[in-house]
Amino acid sequence: MSITAIGVLGILALLAAIVARVPIGVALALTGFLGYAAADGWSKALKMLGSVPYDLASAYSLSVVPLFLLMGAVASRGIMAQELFDAANAIFSGFRGALANATTGACALFGGICGSSIADAATFSKVAIPEMRRHGYDASFAGGTVASAGTLAILIPPSVLTALYAIVAEQSLPKLYAAAFIPGVILAALYVVTVVVVAHARPDWVPRVAAMPLAQRLHAVRGMWKLALLFFIAVCGIYLGWFSPTEAAAVASFTAIVIAIATRSMGGRGLLDAFMETVYATATVFFIVVGAFIFSRFIVLTQFPTGVVTWVQHHHFSPLFVVLLVMLLYVSLGTFLDEVSTILITVPVTLPLITSIGYDGIWFGIFVTVMCTIGLISPPTGMTVFVIQAQNPDIPVGNIYLGTLPFLAADFVLVALLVAFPGIALWMPRVLGM
Amino acid sequence: MVKLCGWLASAFLAAMMLLTVADVLLRAAFNRPLRGTYDLVELLLCATFFVALPAVFLRDDHIVVDSIDRYFPRAVPWLRRLAGVIALIMLALMVWQGSIAARDTWSFGDVTSDLSLPKILFWIPLLFGLAGGAVAALAVALRIRSPK
Repeated sequence: MSITAIGVLGILALLAAIVARVPIGVALALTGFLGYAAADGWSKALKMLGSVPYDLASAYSLSVVPLFLLMGAVASRGIMAQELFDAANAIFSGFRGALANATTGACALFGGICGSSIADAATFSKVAIPEMRRHGYDASFAGGTVASAGTLAILIPPSVLTALYAIVAEQSLPKLYAAAFIPGVILAALYVVTVVVVAHARPDWVPRVAAMPLAQRLHAVRGMWKLALLFFIAVCGIYLGWFSPTEAAAVASFTAIVIAIATRSMGGRGLLDAFMETVYATATVFFIVVGAFIFSRFIVLTQFPTGVVTWVQHHHFSPLFVVLLVMLLYVSLGTFLDEVSTILITVPVTLPLITSIGYDGIWFGIFVTVMCTIGLISPPTGMTVFVIQAQNPDIPVGNIYLGTLPFLAADFVLVALLVAFPGIALWMPRVLGM
Repeated sequence: MVKLCGWLASAFLAAMMLLTVADVLLRAAFNRPLRGTYDLVELLLCATFFVALPAVFLRDDHIVVDSIDRYFPRAVPWLRRLAGVIALIMLALMVWQGSIAARDTWSFGDVTSDLSLPKILFWIPLLFGLAGGAVAALAVALRIRSPK
């Protein structure tokens, strides 16, 4: 059997194991190990298996993951999310669709802080959906808005997913965070436009809510200073070169704890819970990273990525066609796979392909993240949709998917913009001199 | 057991955060950063992850694609057990091979570049976590569960 055939079989075996309910980290380790043994013998495969976990022990850059997760766990425990939603609502107040747009804005900023779309959607499902429904919003649209706006978390810096991409793709994390900013803002703006369009097309879904008095609005806007401060430390601190990503994450999570305790919105019990939640989540993600490292050793050994690049060059496909194929891959993976696994499994193959047709590794990091935001709301397993449904059992899951459809269109607009104007992602790192 | 792993790992994470914050503050205020923060953060990160790993198995926190549940609900308990056995085998192999590598590290007396910490310190939580994970996977595999 040729080595390429072993590579292809390995990938098929991985998919089979994942569908057969083997945990993704275990499935990656199993197929990576067996494939490596088939290609290079048992003794080398065993040696590889013993050494890969140690790679994680010397991966300083991974330390941003638990620290940013901790900041999110602390921020989502206090009343910061509620205050942020009230502030965003005060800003948009008076417009038709104000509550939906407040949700988008609040999810964008809070998503920056918490870095996980599931946590973002879960938080605002509690805060925003009851408020929207109380004011007569259509339940499907309210659910769809939070499910979609929650996906902004993985794109807007500092995102944990971006940190994992930086590690598998061997790209600079500060550069990626700089590159993600403008696309993140554009996507949030596109969601706002989507709400406005829906409000005009279906006014019965999005009732007008009376504007708040100015004094009350000004008061509410002040409530967002905590999250704004955290965002400033975590993001601007990295942009301005004050901190490395790990330092920014440590200082920001420490600040979040100090704020939460000083404002009495979290006690000792809550702090311990936040820590416990963080370490479990970290271990869950890192175990997939261990599996992905094992699997990628095997994939590199089979030279499958080079094979794909040669095949594409041989057929003289146009770059646009290759990008469309890659998009298709991510859309189909997004229907059943979570975003962390998607990135860890595919990037060793797709990145060499994309760079071979002239795109940049930083650009691809943003592109692939936007594709993951689509995967998060794609049926049958849209993770953020499930989160909304779990907390609002009376809204049927199909209706929430319907509610996300207008936002899905916005996602594809951003993808098209990124492909047509790569500068959207690449301009900011250049200006910051990274 | 789950909580014990969680508490220990939390303590390591808290130490990692406080150490980094102290390093940043000392650098900013007195231009005297702590020596060896890098080495210690790596060690604490390693400890955080591996010490928490058995808890992930016991809590069944793993990310699993469960689309199959709708079509073959009766197969689910068996597939869970199969997955537990596979996890047990993979982790046991990692512990076996890892302990060989750890023994080499020990006998060569490898140290980190900055603080000259013995590298065996990294292997202790690592092997603990993998072995604990293997035991936890076995426990999950033996536990008889009805499908939800």
